[in-house]
Amino acid sequence: MHSIKQTFAHDTWVMPYLRKYKWLLVLVLFLGMMTFLSAAALMFNSGYLISEAARRPGNIIYIYVPVVLARAFGIARPVFRYSERLTSHNWVLRIVSDFRKKLYQAVEVKASAIKQTHQTGDILSILADDIDHIENLYLRTVFPIVVGWLLYLFIIVGVGVFSWPVALLMVLLLGMIVLVIPLLSVAVNGAREFKQKQIQSSSYTHLTDEVMGLTDWVISGRYQDFMTLQKKPIKDIAALRRKDHFFQWWRGFGVQFFFLLAVLTLLIWSGATFTASKGMANWIAAFALTLFPIVEPFLEVSQGASEWPIYRQSIERVNQLSNDQPKLTPQSTLTAPVSEISVNHVTFKYPDDDKVILKDVSLNIKRGEKIALLGPSGTGKSTLLKLLLGDQTPTVGSVTINGTPVSELQQQRAQLFGVLDQQPYLFDTSVMNNIRLGNLKATDEQVKAAVEAVELKPLIESLPDGYDTEVQESGTRFSGGERQRLSLARILLQDAPIIVLDEPTVSLDPITERQLLDTVFKVLHDKTIIWVTHHLAGIDHVDQVRFLEDGVFDMQGTPQALYRDEPRFRKLYELDTGKNERV
Amino acid sequence: MIDRRLFKIPGIAPRIVMIAILTLSQAVMIVIQARALSIAVVQLWNLKPLATIVTPTIVFILSFLCRHLLTVAQNRSFYPFVEKTTGKMREQLMTKLFRLGPSLVEKTGTGNMVTMALEGIDKVQTYLMLIVIKIMDMGITPWVILLYIAFMQWKEAVFLLIIYPVIILFMIILGLAAKSKADRQYAGYQRLSNNFVDTLRGLGTLKQLGLSKRYAGNVYSVSEDYRKETMATLRIAMTSTFALDFFTTLSVAVVAVFLGFDLMDGKIMLLPALTILTLAPDYFLPVRNFANDYHATLNGKNALQAVLDVLETPETKDRDELKQLTWHGDSALKFDDVSLTYGDVDTPTLSHIAFDVHGFQKVGIIGASGSGKSTLINLIGGFLTPDEPGHVSINGQKLPHLSQEVWQHNSIYIPQSPYLFHATLRENVSFYQPNAADATIKAACDKAGLTDWIAELPVGLDTMIGEGSRGVSGGQAQRIALARAFLDDSRKVLLFDEPTAHLDIETEAALKEDMLPLLDNRLVFFATHRLHWINQMDYVLVMDHGRLVEQGTPAQLAQHDGPYTKLRAEMGGLHALD
Ligand SMILES: Nc1ncnc2c1ncn2[C@@H]1O[C@H](COP(=O)(O)OP(=O)(O)OP(=O)(O)O)[C@@H](O)[C@H]1O
Ligand SMILES: Nc1ncnc2c1ncn2[C@@H]1O[C@H](COP(=O)(O)OP(=O)(O)OP(=O)(O)O)[C@@H](O)[C@H]1O
Ligand SMILES: [Mg+2]
Ligand SMILES: [Mg+2]
Repeated sequence: MHSIKQTFAHDTWVMPYLRKYKWLLVLVLFLGMMTFLSAAALMFNSGYLISEAARRPGNIIYIYVPVVLARAFGIARPVFRYSERLTSHNWVLRIVSDFRKKLYQAVEVKASAIKQTHQTGDILSILADDIDHIENLYLRTVFPIVVGWLLYLFIIVGVGVFSWPVALLMVLLLGMIVLVIPLLSVAVNGAREFKQKQIQSSSYTHLTDEVMGLTDWVISGRYQDFMTLQKKPIKDIAALRRKDHFFQWWRGFGVQFFFLLAVLTLLIWSGATFTASKGMANWIAAFALTLFPIVEPFLEVSQGASEWPIYRQSIERVNQLSNDQPKLTPQSTLTAPVSEISVNHVTFKYPDDDKVILKDVSLNIKRGEKIALLGPSGTGKSTLLKLLLGDQTPTVGSVTINGTPVSELQQQRAQLFGVLDQQPYLFDTSVMNNIRLGNLKATDEQVKAAVEAVELKPLIESLPDGYDTEVQESGTRFSGGERQRLSLARILLQDAPIIVLDEPTVSLDPITERQLLDTVFKVLHDKTIIWVTHHLAGIDHVDQVRFLEDGVFDMQGTPQALYRDEPRFRKLYELDTGKNERV
Repeated sequence: MIDRRLFKIPGIAPRIVMIAILTLSQAVMIVIQARALSIAVVQLWNLKPLATIVTPTIVFILSFLCRHLLTVAQNRSFYPFVEKTTGKMREQLMTKLFRLGPSLVEKTGTGNMVTMALEGIDKVQTYLMLIVIKIMDMGITPWVILLYIAFMQWKEAVFLLIIYPVIILFMIILGLAAKSKADRQYAGYQRLSNNFVDTLRGLGTLKQLGLSKRYAGNVYSVSEDYRKETMATLRIAMTSTFALDFFTTLSVAVVAVFLGFDLMDGKIMLLPALTILTLAPDYFLPVRNFANDYHATLNGKNALQAVLDVLETPETKDRDELKQLTWHGDSALKFDDVSLTYGDVDTPTLSHIAFDVHGFQKVGIIGASGSGKSTLINLIGGFLTPDEPGHVSINGQKLPHLSQEVWQHNSIYIPQSPYLFHATLRENVSFYQPNAADATIKAACDKAGLTDWIAELPVGLDTMIGEGSRGVSGGQAQRIALARAFLDDSRKVLLFDEPTAHLDIETEAALKEDMLPLLDNRLVFFATHRLHWINQMDYVLVMDHGRLVEQGTPAQLAQHDGPYTKLRAEMGGLHALD
């Protein structure tokens, strides 16, 4: 009980829905109970009916009522059952759609950090595993248990009307079925189910990682290792599941055993009680048969209970995901056009890391200015961009646009920034849809113009499906450089005043790169551009070059001035063109 | 409702016979149980003392227990088989995944592949367990009961017999309707997981585009579609269960009423009547059980189908044509008019590729973006199969493709976008060589220029990287991949696909000095856009629109005015700053 309380203490996934739909819930439970009561009543009535008929009463009128009742119960049972199932499933599936959306939203809020805290497989397992489980929590645990208990009460009261001692005996015998065995199941089987679930979710995480890195696995040729990784969880789960099943079967047998005792009790009791007259003895068959249809819901009670630990884990997982949401800073809006971006004495280190990446860095970018950011791999260029975008907040210092901190402009960021990051992603849909993500209102013509600007028009139009070609998951249908350019096309369409490009021309040959940069700077001539690059092609397009090294800017100026004054810059230039090499 | 391939599962036939025998004994127990209970009730009804029902009650108890023990026996005897079969299936699926590689995932999608291997196989397990036992139950139990009823009272037996085919007919009609829906539902499920994984992987991009909030609506609508598909299937499944329930329950009621009238007319005694009444629900129970699990069965069947479909996808054949190979100074690789067409396009992506390389040559591959460099490297690595066999040869032996095991054992391949696993830095670097010694790993990291960075990490090589842990910069990721290649010096063929694309010039220049010695005494294919590497190459292949437009030593290519000189000139064009 304690664990139940704990699980629901900060719950936002189960309780609110139970509360919101309480009447529907009551209806489902009522229908569920009526289903089995009708079934029991049918047998009870039938037993009485034929016993009475066997007395050969002179007139049909004597069995008329039971005859009508038999038909009524015969119809009632399936009708109740049908409506119960329809209502419960419909309801449960509907909240599951809400869950999926909720899950996505919980993940989305943490989008910029999600890559560091969660693996795709984790979230996939929440989607495929946990949410399905919460769905089953209702269908397999809550409803059957409550219905089972209600029936239990009903039987006790029903028998109690005739005889209290027998009712007490039933309390014990059926209590074994609806209370003791379920608790025992949780105790014995719960741990196993819990373990199974854990293995299953970690399998999700690992397998997703392995599938996403499948190319590398295949290249490595480590077939044996790959299989060993797979086989271990398969074996572990199989072993647990085997025990689990064995337990379930024997438990089923146990339930049947106590059920048998209950039937015998009723038989012997009615045999001993209804002896006053032949008419009374008609009730014996009724009591002997009535319990049989009720064994089915009783069997489900234990199963439902023993699955509880799985659901508990799922509930805790989803709650954990949505409860530790980052705090949002109050947002403000920028109405004036962007006139100035400034980075003021920013020092930065990643929260759980010691290394200071940026040391007291300042940078001022005027409207329409174009800046190239260079520097050795791993110095913090991309990190600086993250700070500019507000995905990270400076440890010391501030980043502002028109004087407003960027962290307060997050709601507006898509209107402010067009961003091509280092690993742009193409979605599993058509070329047209992918590019249109840059601006959902763009016409087909605008999309095509963007494709032309990134030099892909001839290629796309030569494809059999043209702009409707599916790019496949992460864009595998296209070559590295083509993917890069498709992502760039998206940004061209976006029409934001500040454009942030992190290595936009990686994977491009010099000719394409040159043409592309010319076009990009032409198309975006009136925008502010911050461009991270690794080499100097197209550097003449920018107003300012900044070199970031060891956390500070150590060279800056116009490209022309740097070329004139800085030997290091000249050396880079030569390295890049492939001349003047000593190696 | 049953996939015919089910019966092809090895070893299933004897199990079915076994289950049949157990089911038959169980049916007999059901009859005895009903009979014994009825005797007891009738005795009491006749106002006989309790002592007279001792024997029938004991028989009842024994047969009742026996019946349920037989259920346990059925499950226990069948389960090991199911467990073994599904376990093997999962392994086969994984083997297939490894053998077919990314091409399979491109088709199925990551999310779908993962859920199929985990959730899907579980569903298959439930399905196998249900289907055989339930079908046997349906095929045997009712007939034993009916036979016994007919023996006592043929009229009720005829009624029960007539109603049975009606029920089955109903089930078939509804089953057919549900099937098409269930197929759609399964497709919806696959779409759902793929869509979710796709969305998650691109979440960063969505956020940049300001669409991440709005995408929640998309997730919801995909989910709602799935819900509707599920509900459509469920509704049919439930309606069929309802129809069944309705008929069977009503039949029991009708039988009770029939019996009542017969009793009144004195056509039957109470004992047989009561026996029939107790048996009637058991007569319908197997069908009802089957219908109740119908939905689970459909899911399982679809999962089984999906799994079997993957298992039946053909793999690359003849991977061992080449018997033995250790690449050395005299070895030769020849492409002779090789073409390659991707599955979904009609024009070849690579056409008429012909070249000869031998020994430890360093071969540069250059060309515009999309000209086919990666495709060529994939072909050389054996990850793609040429359109026609017999156009590639190693040491003079004609081969259908280069997916030769011995050839692949000789080569290391660094793909254009290597993947960083969620693992320690050490495990990532030693990915191709998991048993590498620590010193070797450190040396490899050193050659890849990672030492300084690793020194700054609090736990050095044990830092967890990849998805779900510490981020690394683009260039660091690339250098980690490079370190993988440096680790192994026994493999003499190197395939590099733009290994330095994400590096800045200075880092690249520093790295180049370390890399060049590693390229000696190896056959190297080096696709790159950084043309300064060409100076160090022995041979260059220039690609353009899927054709090999030029080849030769750098000096030869520099001499005449071709695509190569054009590319070089473009780099010279940089001198705009002078
Ligand atoms: N999430 C993170 N947590 C901790 N450290 C990180 C994280 N992301 C990056 N780093 C580290 O911060 C440093 C700067 O990374 P950043 O990505 O900004 O480099 P970069 O200049 O863009 O390099 P490249 O040119 O290789 O892309 C690197 O040493 C990197 O390992
Ligand atoms: N799976 C695929 N199906 C169909 N076409 C493909 C597939 N993969 C690549 N292509 C096409 O084949 C052509 C060659 O692609 P490839 O990846 O070999 O180019 P690349 O020379 O490596 O280019 P980059 O320098 O941009 O990486 C491209 O036009 C690409 O669109
Ligand atoms: Mg970077
Ligand atoms: Mg490529």
